[in-house]
Amino acid sequence: MTLLKAKDLTKKYEDKTVVNHVNFEFQEGNCIALIGPNGAGKTTILRTLAGLLKPTSGSIIFNGKENQDFRAFIGYLPQYPVFHPWMTGLEFLIYSAQISNFSKKEAKQRAENILHKVGIADAKNKPISKYSGGMKQRLGIAQAIIHKPKLLMLDEPVSSLDPIGRREVLTLMEELKQDMTILFSTHILSDADEVSDELLLLNQGEIVESGSMKGLREKYQTSMIELEFQFDRDSYLEKVQDIPSVNLVKVERNILFVSANDIEKVRNDILTLAAKENWPLMSFQVNRASLEDMFMKVVNQSCNG
Amino acid sequence: MTLFKKEMVENWRNKKWVWVPLVFILLAVMDPISNYYMADILGAVGGLPDGAVFEMPDFTPPEVVMMSLGQLSSLGVLIIVLISMGTISGEIKNGVSELILVKPISYTNYITAKWTALMLLSWGALIIGMLGSWYYINILYGEISIADFLSTVFFYGLWLTFIVSLSIFFNTISKTPGLVAFLTILTIMVMSALTKVFQHLLEWSPNNLSSYIMQMLIEGNIPSNLTGTALTTVGLSILLLIFSIVIFRKREIAN
Amino acid sequence: MEILESINWAVIAPLIFIQGILLIFAIIDWAKAEDTNGPKWLWFFVIIFVNIIGPVAYFLFGRKRS
Repeated sequence: MTLLKAKDLTKKYEDKTVVNHVNFEFQEGNCIALIGPNGAGKTTILRTLAGLLKPTSGSIIFNGKENQDFRAFIGYLPQYPVFHPWMTGLEFLIYSAQISNFSKKEAKQRAENILHKVGIADAKNKPISKYSGGMKQRLGIAQAIIHKPKLLMLDEPVSSLDPIGRREVLTLMEELKQDMTILFSTHILSDADEVSDELLLLNQGEIVESGSMKGLREKYQTSMIELEFQFDRDSYLEKVQDIPSVNLVKVERNILFVSANDIEKVRNDILTLAAKENWPLMSFQVNRASLEDMFMKVVNQSCNG
Repeated sequence: MTLFKKEMVENWRNKKWVWVPLVFILLAVMDPISNYYMADILGAVGGLPDGAVFEMPDFTPPEVVMMSLGQLSSLGVLIIVLISMGTISGEIKNGVSELILVKPISYTNYITAKWTALMLLSWGALIIGMLGSWYYINILYGEISIADFLSTVFFYGLWLTFIVSLSIFFNTISKTPGLVAFLTILTIMVMSALTKVFQHLLEWSPNNLSSYIMQMLIEGNIPSNLTGTALTTVGLSILLLIFSIVIFRKREIAN
Repeated sequence: MEILESINWAVIAPLIFIQGILLIFAIIDWAKAEDTNGPKWLWFFVIIFVNIIGPVAYFLFGRKRS
């Protein structure tokens, strides 16, 4: 079932168009990554969906209803969440739950549970002004999920964290995926690769590509075969080049990088040849192009086209 | 209700509920006391040449009430403007509102909670400050009846109500607290100038509240102009509040 | 000394008392504050030495907005 659909969403500031006639939709239960370089319009899209910004034109359809107040069903974490520093973490969560229309008692219960879930229960009675960046990020996630929203929107949830904090938040997102739809923005492709099912690639305010991880891989992937020789790689270089349908061979120390249109066939040819002639191979691998390469490719295409 | 409670707790924890009333007491009693001791002070400083007879003007209690209100109207109003300038604009500027306003709260409640909390603080400070003034007037100058005291506080409170509403209104327009304070004060000054220039047309301008309160204290009954001015002030305050809500609904919260 | 005797302490005492509370609250808040707008030590002197206006100025401008 389609949870959210953006139709021709546009956001202009004076003469600058930050989001340009963007269309997308996603299904309930998915985890969607909004990927793009800085300034692509990711934050603007999330803020518009959260109701913090009004679109210049276009509409948002949530759960089949067009342009309505659906704040009760979303949780939102800004890139740099700011809290009331004079409150404690627990107080802030109770407050968040209460303004999401829960009774005081229920709010308390939820706050306590969520504090455990995000792992800051020990600091719940400390004023937020004393929290570290990682703790604030977790408190931010806690306030965004306290009312069990249908859609959780996270703006760059891990980019400001150290490697440990980043791992913890990604794990938490994996967990949350079971309960809600997640839409998050990032400029770090490996994070998107890790948790999301679906990608929206954004560049200069436009969606340049979208689809499932698998689909995009198939579409853009070029694989490469990496051959590492113990010695004498030059004599094998020619042999590899002679294999039909091999496009390009790069040499780097003792390694040959082979790219081809029909990677399956070339792989078999090389393996057969190597076995027959007893090549001094140290390693053999088929590398898939990283998401990073794919992203560059898509962005470049959209710039040139 | 939750929003209102949050405002009250915040104003308690940042000590506003302590220092604002205390300062209002000091403002309200400053002139009554210093004027009473003026002759002594001048004598002690030696500012009077020998033989000069210093006639201590005898202030009547209503005149002294007006001294208190005079201080509150300048410094008291300034304090209210300064403590209210960031109540909404500051939250938007620093970003807390991004967490609060994405929750399913009503914009009307958000604005009215802020307004009510500031109203309580201003009225509370006014009542306490004027109680101080009343105490000193009674021991130093002469009696002011309870009825006169209460109606003074009530009518003057309307002026503060108007200031708070004005500040809330500018809070919904600007996201810079300093600009909110500037616009609020500018508006009060422009209104005051207009009231003076067009005194016959603007008899019920809120800026006239003080002078009608004086008239009430001297004459001993509530002049009809005071009633009219009071109604105008309340009406304007309500209008400002409604405008604030309408503007805020249409406003973009993020920067 | 005549002037000291002529002053009615029952009038002045409450005034001093209120100023005292204001000062104490400002100092307590100042001591607890992690950070102030402007150098923290400067606010100490402002609160202590500038009568009435010092504590008020601290509450209005010295406190970091929360």
